[in-house]
Amino acid sequence: MTQQTFTGVGLGLRRTHLEEVARREDHGVPFWETCPENVIGDGGRHFRWASSILDRDPVLTHGLTVSVGGFDAWDQDYLRDLGTFLHRVEAPWHSEHLCFTRVDENCLHELLPLPFTRDSARHTIRRVRELQAQLPVPLVLENITYYAELGHADMDEADFICEVLEGADAGWLLDVNNVYVNALNFGFEPKAWLAQMPLERVVQLHIAGHKRFGDLTVDTHGADVIEPVIDLMQWVLARVGRPLPVLLERDNHIPDLELLLAERAQLQRAYDAVFAPAEAPHA
Amino acid sequence: MPEGRTQRLQQAAAAFILEADEAALEADPARVSRRLGLSLADQQSFDQQLPAWLTYRELARMSLLEPLETMFPVLMALLGPKDWAICTQAFLDARLVRSPHYRDIAPTFLGWLAENRWGQARWPFLLELAHAEVLEVLVARYPDSELPGGLQEEPDADTFLAWNAATQVVSYTHAVHRASEANPIPEARPTQLLAYRDAEGVVFLMELTSATASLLVQARTIPVAEAAAALGLTDLEPVLTLLRDLRQKGALDGFSPIPLT
Ligand SMILES: [Fe+2]
Repeated sequence: MTQQTFTGVGLGLRRTHLEEVARREDHGVPFWETCPENVIGDGGRHFRWASSILDRDPVLTHGLTVSVGGFDAWDQDYLRDLGTFLHRVEAPWHSEHLCFTRVDENCLHELLPLPFTRDSARHTIRRVRELQAQLPVPLVLENITYYAELGHADMDEADFICEVLEGADAGWLLDVNNVYVNALNFGFEPKAWLAQMPLERVVQLHIAGHKRFGDLTVDTHGADVIEPVIDLMQWVLARVGRPLPVLLERDNHIPDLELLLAERAQLQRAYDAVFAPAEAPHA
Repeated sequence: MPEGRTQRLQQAAAAFILEADEAALEADPARVSRRLGLSLADQQSFDQQLPAWLTYRELARMSLLEPLETMFPVLMALLGPKDWAICTQAFLDARLVRSPHYRDIAPTFLGWLAENRWGQARWPFLLELAHAEVLEVLVARYPDSELPGGLQEEPDADTFLAWNAATQVVSYTHAVHRASEANPIPEARPTQLLAYRDAEGVVFLMELTSATASLLVQARTIPVAEAAAALGLTDLEPVLTLLRDLRQKGALDGFSPIPLT
């Protein structure tokens, strides 16, 4: 599968929609994103539907629990299965979150923020390189939302992300909603933040909805994408100047497939507007 | 080698999430980082960001406990909110969630109940009840596998049963599969269940007599006629009819001239 397949706005494949998506080919979604942890080792009817979609349509893969920046030994069985899976779906790259999820053998099933320190960055770079060496496709890292800094920081998030991406020579899955949510929670301007980042490393974008709880905005993936986040997506695409794949994530309050397809189509129009030839100036 | 600061910071985050005593954390947010020997500056960062760390605590605990609430509604109704919280905290304290697969959390909890016998002095049927709640999902999601070779579609006196990989026969001392959220205390009645999925993957539960349950188990390792005779079933025809039916339903893959287990 060539990289050209991955352009436009794709959708995260969710369990509740598997049957319907497997049954219809006219969904108009250029590609899906699936979480390998949810498919590997599973069985039964949902697994069969998922398999038929993965065998039919272009797929990107997005992991949740590998704990890139953690200290636990790599789960070799899982990594072997993951490698087989990536081959099978012909994934062009595989993304993981720039975070830790496991501590002392325990999986916390939450994306936790790495300390923003030189030592933590060095450790994470080493881990990214180790993981990359065990994967059959390029490893791409996603910026997360975070609600607290872990320990006393000696750099900010932007510097930490830059240092890891550059140090590990890794691609970036830029989640614009995460940038927006972090900007709200920590009081910065998202475009100014992005302008200092290595956008040439971006290979994919994520976009999603979020929710405000009191003082804190949480990356719930449970609501429609709002206009400023769409604007941020367009800004990044225009700045990068390439039709990078954008993936709409929805993990909570998952609406009917029809509604999600409509939201995707709306985002696709916003996406296309970025790359449409400029209108002729009025005479 | 002593663990470095970065690792201890991650351990502090995990402890903040999993620790039982939330009130103690609120009163003294730095307690976990102090225990891990982190610097004053690191301890202060927990103090200064208490609301955010409480949010992490809530989010992570929600992701760990949500699959249990979804999977064990009857058990939750049996225990009531207070004992449910005590039980699930004891499970979190055991630090057993290791699998990268989210779907493994509920079976891990069941394994912990079996091992640890939590609450079973008070509710002797608790483990059976929890097992019955997971049973359908385990059968539904059992990994597909290739059929063994050499199976025949028709049973005869000398064949052995080839169960479908997902099929389970379970034996409970209580009718736990009949318990409900409204009525979580099951009747004390020996119960045998056949749990299987059909070709489409839809799960079915079938109550069995103890003779039929024994037959299905025995006839995997001894020929059908012998298994039936051992149970005093002298007329083989109704047995073969049942077995044909179970193959059609999908509980059995077929019949083998040699034992498969
Ligand atoms: Fe994302």
